[in-house]
Amino acid sequence: MLNDAEREVVLLSLRVAGLAVAASLLPGVLLGWVLARWQHPLRPLLHGVLMLPLVLPPVVTGYLLLWLLGRSRPLGRAWHELSGGHIAYTTAACVIAAAVVGFPLLVEAIRLAMLGVDRRLELVSRSLGRGRLATFLRVTLPLALPGLLAGAVLSFARALGEFGATIVLAGNVEGETRTIPIAVYTLLNVRGGEAAVLRLTLVSVALALAALLGSFWLSARQRLREVA
Amino acid sequence: MLLEARIRHRFRGFALDVELASDGPVLGVFGASGSGKTTLLMALAGGLRPDEGHIVVSGHALCRRPGGVCLPPERRRLAVVMQDALLFPNRSVRGNLAYAPGASARLEGPEGRRILEVLRLAPLLERGAGHLSGGERQRVALGRALLAAPELLLLDEPTSALDAELARDVLALLLQLKRELAVRMVFVTHRTAELLALADDCVVLEGGRIAAQGPPLEVVQRPRALGVASLLGVDNLLRLRVLGHDEEGGVSLLELAPGTALAAPLCHAEPGDRVAIGFYADEVLLCRERPAGLSARNALAGVVTRLTPIGYEVLVELGVGKETLRARLTPAAARELRLEPGSPAVAVLKTASVHLLGGPNEG
Repeated sequence: MLNDAEREVVLLSLRVAGLAVAASLLPGVLLGWVLARWQHPLRPLLHGVLMLPLVLPPVVTGYLLLWLLGRSRPLGRAWHELSGGHIAYTTAACVIAAAVVGFPLLVEAIRLAMLGVDRRLELVSRSLGRGRLATFLRVTLPLALPGLLAGAVLSFARALGEFGATIVLAGNVEGETRTIPIAVYTLLNVRGGEAAVLRLTLVSVALALAALLGSFWLSARQRLREVA
Repeated sequence: MLLEARIRHRFRGFALDVELASDGPVLGVFGASGSGKTTLLMALAGGLRPDEGHIVVSGHALCRRPGGVCLPPERRRLAVVMQDALLFPNRSVRGNLAYAPGASARLEGPEGRRILEVLRLAPLLERGAGHLSGGERQRVALGRALLAAPELLLLDEPTSALDAELARDVLALLLQLKRELAVRMVFVTHRTAELLALADDCVVLEGGRIAAQGPPLEVVQRPRALGVASLLGVDNLLRLRVLGHDEEGGVSLLELAPGTALAAPLCHAEPGDRVAIGFYADEVLLCRERPAGLSARNALAGVVTRLTPIGYEVLVELGVGKETLRARLTPAAARELRLEPGSPAVAVLKTASVHLLGGPNEG
């Protein structure tokens, strides 16, 4: 059904989205927990900042990332030290852009899942002799897991569809940064590209739908846990 | 000394200010909702850092604030059992029981076998935590707490969430744990029956302060404060004016109704002042007419206003002047005396049954 170039595009998208979610998990869990448990007047501010990529125009997000990571910036120079190249127009840039725009979905799902874990369960665990970390790993995290996975799947779907930040930060390099949305956009401007566009669109819809359904199923599992 | 605690804590418009010391081995904390008993329990468990606190359990200092250390719950060796069991839903019964450090080993040993036996948990071991009845959950929660080998158990209203029959079962289990396994406990409750059945020593909390302390039977039979009395279900609570004192006779006379005086134990109030008194309906006798040659100082004439059957008894309400007195009789007695609304009757009450109560303005 897909030709070689198209297959490469789909595989790249899946790889980028997968890496983006994998990289977001640990910060997502930590920040989700902080947002769920930290009582402090500054918490809403932290929450707001973490939610920004959800509401900012993706190209703006992309520009901010460029501003942060460009070759003349400290972080950009550090990257240059580590890898010998510059971050813009690489697959790594795709992963970063995808991770950043998907992060709010992940962290919010984790926050809600952790809020749903009865704090008294955590007190009982601690009164039985398990410390804070042990309680987190044995009680909070396992009980929040379905919600966490729902968030991961949702942010995976978002990452698959990311265009604005990707095009600004990572450009349109065939094989390196041409993900499904960018490929579709490119093909729309090419005569006779409609058939390819249709094929990629179908793949895109199928993947997104599968991700959404998976996310709904996992969310329902999370709600069941909270009732027990 | 099982427990010594001095705790002061302000929390959303509520202030807890208590000081207590008890040998237990089972201490009951009695109070209505909002009296501060859960806050007290949380402070003991370590779930809450009091503004000022000094808590010592079996000689180990758990908390000294301000200025000292306040141990986190995991270092306190006090296992908490909540009202609604709170089992870990993602684990089996065995997984819950073996949760505490060392519990797994204890479960296999003689101690564990004994606990499983007393709590009848052996058939439940492989079940999921979500597949248990209310009573089973409570038993698993108790087992889980005991297998943590705590210094003492903290129980938050152990039978409040259960129906009467289950509550009786769990109470019997707690008694068994106390007698056979020498488990020491501090439990919070608002049920007098639970307090009397289980506690060796008790404190009564009201509005964040201790209103009474002592052996439960004493506290219940001789309530010293108006708040405690109404809490414990004292059926007759009255505020009456002092008429005079008879020092030689050992009574103070209070005005129940114009022309009717109630003899209460000698008190220090001035004639004209009001005092609060209470007495139990169980201790009131009823007669058709005033008896002669009776030792009881009180024979109060009135008119029956209502009869209410309650369980195996009848609650009779007697109007004396503007006040209502309550007496508990057997149905047989009510029948024999032919009591019905409108019948005249005389309430007989010993002076000793009348308890002088400190009100909000008194000690």
